[in-house]
Amino acid sequence: MTGKERVLATLNHQKTDRVPWIPFTGVHAGALKGYSATEVLTDSQKLYESLMEAYKLYQPDALPVVFDLQIEAEILGCKLVWADEAPPSVADHPLEETTDLPCECLMPTRESGRIPFVLDVMSKMKASVGDDIALYGLICGPFTLASHLRGNNLFMDMILDEDYVHKLMEFTTTVSLKMVDLYLEAGMDVIAVVDPLVSQISPEHFTELCHESFKTVYDYIRAKGAKSSFFVCGNATRQLEVMCKTGPDSISIDENVDMKSAKEITDSYNIAIGGNIPLTTLMLHGTQQENMKFVVNMLDTLSHDNLIIAPGCDMPYAVPADNSIGIAQAILETDAVREMVKNYEAPKEDIHVELPDYASLERPLVEAFTLDSATCAACTYMMGAMNVAKEHFGDRIDLVEYKFTEKENIARCVKMGVKNLPCVYVNGELKWSSIIPSREELFKTIEGLL
Amino acid sequence: MEALQEIRAALEKGQSARLRELLGPAVEAGTPPDRILRTMLEVMEQVGKGFKEDRVFIPEVLMVGRAFNLSLDFLAPLLGEGEAAKSCHLAKAVLGTVKGDIHDIGKNLVKLMFTGSGVEVVDLGVDVSPEAFVEAVRVHKPDILAMSALLTTTMPQQRKTIRALEKAGLRQGVAVFVGGAPVTEAYAREIGADYYSSDAGEAMEMARVVIDRKKAGEH
Repeated sequence: MTGKERVLATLNHQKTDRVPWIPFTGVHAGALKGYSATEVLTDSQKLYESLMEAYKLYQPDALPVVFDLQIEAEILGCKLVWADEAPPSVADHPLEETTDLPCECLMPTRESGRIPFVLDVMSKMKASVGDDIALYGLICGPFTLASHLRGNNLFMDMILDEDYVHKLMEFTTTVSLKMVDLYLEAGMDVIAVVDPLVSQISPEHFTELCHESFKTVYDYIRAKGAKSSFFVCGNATRQLEVMCKTGPDSISIDENVDMKSAKEITDSYNIAIGGNIPLTTLMLHGTQQENMKFVVNMLDTLSHDNLIIAPGCDMPYAVPADNSIGIAQAILETDAVREMVKNYEAPKEDIHVELPDYASLERPLVEAFTLDSATCAACTYMMGAMNVAKEHFGDRIDLVEYKFTEKENIARCVKMGVKNLPCVYVNGELKWSSIIPSREELFKTIEGLL
Repeated sequence: MEALQEIRAALEKGQSARLRELLGPAVEAGTPPDRILRTMLEVMEQVGKGFKEDRVFIPEVLMVGRAFNLSLDFLAPLLGEGEAAKSCHLAKAVLGTVKGDIHDIGKNLVKLMFTGSGVEVVDLGVDVSPEAFVEAVRVHKPDILAMSALLTTTMPQQRKTIRALEKAGLRQGVAVFVGGAPVTEAYAREIGADYYSSDAGEAMEMARVVIDRKKAGEH
């Protein structure tokens, strides 16, 4: 099965060969190529390069193309504040002081705001990887969009002026439908309606004021022959049931919701569920082993039908690439990684490893530590780069690969203080971790030691 | 007392207009303002608890908070200085969203909950620099400094502010609260904050701990 087939089968509630994996790379993709969040959210070539790097390193079954909930708000007149390592934030709300509706003339078209940029990246991705992986077009959900326009007053309106909220939601729903049209025309397979604020209102309020909007959007996507997903953030435990009733093909939740009980609810509606790898504590601040262990545990405790493994929301910019690579490996090679994690935790006293005497080596020694270069894409690329160097330098250097699948190699990693894989040490010194060096950089490093 | 029950019911529903109708006659009929205030504070405590337990949501909290604040405006002049201090000014807090971050919903909810627990609040708004926090602590001498951060990239500002407080010699007298979606208990400990709360309801509980400690003469 290709990644695309796997994701679409899951969203059609059919059996798959394994659970699909969708890294919500967001602005983090830019970090892989050294681009800022602002660069990847405004420059289509830079975002395209970044997403292709994520495609290469993380072996995803699907990728969201642009993860920015402010695109519609910007078109409708909200000012944005930009950041280097996060998506922009909405800085003002055009309807804060008025209960008017925005001008219909602001409805998104192919030319509005950053839409040309988004469509350009979508078409580039479609052409490059569209047959292999599913592509997600993300739109800002109608409720969060209403709050972008009206600010915090929207919450009071929900009690004091329901009529206005209905009218505003009708407007934002029309915006959503326009966005669906644009993104489906650009070849997106799945439309994700991202509405983080849904977790902040009661299920009764959701039913009363939001149900119709979401149902309209999901029905529309279905009628157009595409698939849908409902992304929420925060503790949406209480809202899951009413979210299911709007009829999306899948729901994606974050770490604030217990995945097992959430899946019981979504399963009862035959809706696929995605999530919910913790973003900050685990992906950003955890070790690679902790990330692998978490995902193996997810796969061991959840039923695999109607399941997608994904981060809780868009990944923080500075997530170490090693952590996502570890997660990908845990999904692709679950049995091997389960063993790795077990071995890593097992006492190592019985395995004695002799480290080379780095101070008196005869020639430069390149040591590559990999999860397994046969199955982990990032490891394959890392080893590929090292093999090129070996071919070039021949007997003038030594190259050795230590696969983490062997107990002895795990003991070596511990002794060396290796934290993340894949990585490369030259003469006992850590040189590259996850990010594969360019040929030029690699050769220069080695030549400096000859 | 019937008047108190009606006031309680109106506040629970966040009915500001109804409260305005009820408060004047209740006081005229002899209901002591401090009893009314105590009833209102009890409602706020329930709301905070409900929010924490996911039974009450943002719209309801904002409505109740607004009704509470309007009622407080009416009651405050009627309370003697001593009584006001006893119920409304149990502690003082300076709060804001950290530099580079303009998210304010969470911060505003914490403000409401603090006010509803008898904490006087100085709100510095959003995008507040460590220097501005330090200056506010110097000027207002609060018991609590509360910082919100909604982005993984702005979380480090909480640490910077704590360091700036230490440098200014102001860290000792103030309980530092941190919160916001990406912030965790472990992070709060790591950066040397005193209290972490995952939502505004929990922030209210933590404020009570500070108030109790203050009463007991601890810091």
